[in-house]
Amino acid sequence: MNRLLLPLALLAAVGHAGVSSSASLGYRGEPGVESKMLAVVQADIEPLRFLKIDAGLSFNLFENNGLGAAALGIGAVLFRPAGLALRLAAQHQQWNGWRAGENRLLVLLEAGPLFGFDAGVGLVRRAPLFGDDYWSLFGWKSDAAEWNYQYRLRWKFIQRENWWLRAGVSTCDRFLAHTPQQFPLEADGGYRLRDKLELIARAGTAIVGYSGGLASFHEIEVTAGVKYVF
Amino acid sequence: MSSRSSSSSKEAQARKFALVLALGLVLSSCKWDLWAIAARPTVEERVKDNLSGEMPTPGPVHVNPYSFRFAVFGDPQIGDDFESTLGRFGREVADRSIDFFCVLGDLTNDATSVECESIKAQLGRVGAPYYTTIGNHDLFQAGAWGRFKEEYGPSCYAVVIADRIKLIFLDTADGTIGPTQFDWFESELQDSGYTKLVLTHYPVFDGGKPIMGRLASDAERAKVQGRLERNGAYAWCAGHIHGLRDARVGSVHHLTCGAMAQELDYGEPAYVLFTCVSGSLSYELVKLN
Repeated sequence: MNRLLLPLALLAAVGHAGVSSSASLGYRGEPGVESKMLAVVQADIEPLRFLKIDAGLSFNLFENNGLGAAALGIGAVLFRPAGLALRLAAQHQQWNGWRAGENRLLVLLEAGPLFGFDAGVGLVRRAPLFGDDYWSLFGWKSDAAEWNYQYRLRWKFIQRENWWLRAGVSTCDRFLAHTPQQFPLEADGGYRLRDKLELIARAGTAIVGYSGGLASFHEIEVTAGVKYVF
Repeated sequence: MSSRSSSSSKEAQARKFALVLALGLVLSSCKWDLWAIAARPTVEERVKDNLSGEMPTPGPVHVNPYSFRFAVFGDPQIGDDFESTLGRFGREVADRSIDFFCVLGDLTNDATSVECESIKAQLGRVGAPYYTTIGNHDLFQAGAWGRFKEEYGPSCYAVVIADRIKLIFLDTADGTIGPTQFDWFESELQDSGYTKLVLTHYPVFDGGKPIMGRLASDAERAKVQGRLERNGAYAWCAGHIHGLRDARVGSVHHLTCGAMAQELDYGEPAYVLFTCVSGSLSYELVKLN
């Protein structure tokens, strides 16, 4: 990943690529499953007008300590006025205490923002890993591998000069891709502190059990941090 | 202009009224007690009830320890016509010398008291001892959990058969396991003296193109699968999906054990038949004749 990011960072330094990066702290909890603090760093780079690259690392504290997730995505802009892009992303997630991990490959067709809305549909191939090789970034053969559909529909319903709010449903973000038995909801927002510096926050949850008629909110994730645009 | 706008406003009001009326009709025609579903005891509350020590745990059935057979299936899901395929299954029990059987929840469709009485009678007529656990449909009425535990006992418990096989029944009726049950489950799994089978309503893995009827949380599924592998569990047996599926992840078999319901999502009524000979366990997937 470093080999790819280094030239892009150099491009950004000489002004040829649009780069934004963020750092956040947060909490993720699921009753009876895990309860941990998160430390997240992310970067978005546009080296060319038709190319977007995103990457991130997420670290766990207090449970499943250490690296929690890594992600790298590349998007080709197909039709800029509608924000239409085809995005390929690789995700790795691991739970060190459980000796379990998962590698994922996502293909998403994304559109927006258009009138405040952004949307996406796609597929993910997930390869869960258990035992000694749970941490491997290259373990793509798994007895428990499966295909899942992915979807996203979000609405930026407030956009002011210095702040904005957005809410919607999204089965995937940079580090996660949910399975069909969850219905994930999220809200996020930002407040511009200075010309290139923004406070950002995100809250997410998922309704589970609805396939059996016994729906409940299960997981919760809250993060807050700062984003800097170079 | 104003009369056109007033008439379109009346039409909009009429459409809203019709929508509310239709929604009311749909909800009132549903046999499920929606308030009871919303206010049901959570899996955490049910498990604490189970493990309080006040509920008698089902004991081991007596079998020939050197050779015995048992069947596992889900979802008889008796509805208001009281029909199921348990009568046909009863003939299999006699023909194949099945010593006992396990039912993985959804005993009834709507959990009404008449359905509960009917399934209790039908299970009794099969002609072999049985174990049960709870499914989501068993919680669709007020007092459903109280009735279930009165009729069948706990929804999470472990029982050792012939000093060889440990059956660990889990309550996943809500699609999750919950903290107390997970701790208890983990301690039961760590017992290395037996071949261990987990029996519950929801599958944790059911093949490469899953639908939404599985244990709900991805992290919980990863945690469960890691524990199953680490502790050498033989199989995770589930119902919920009215079908018969057989997958293997590492050393663990993931079986969706068929259903005895009249209305099936996939295939024919079916069950999984386990045979234990001299401590060695094997299984076959059986479609009901």
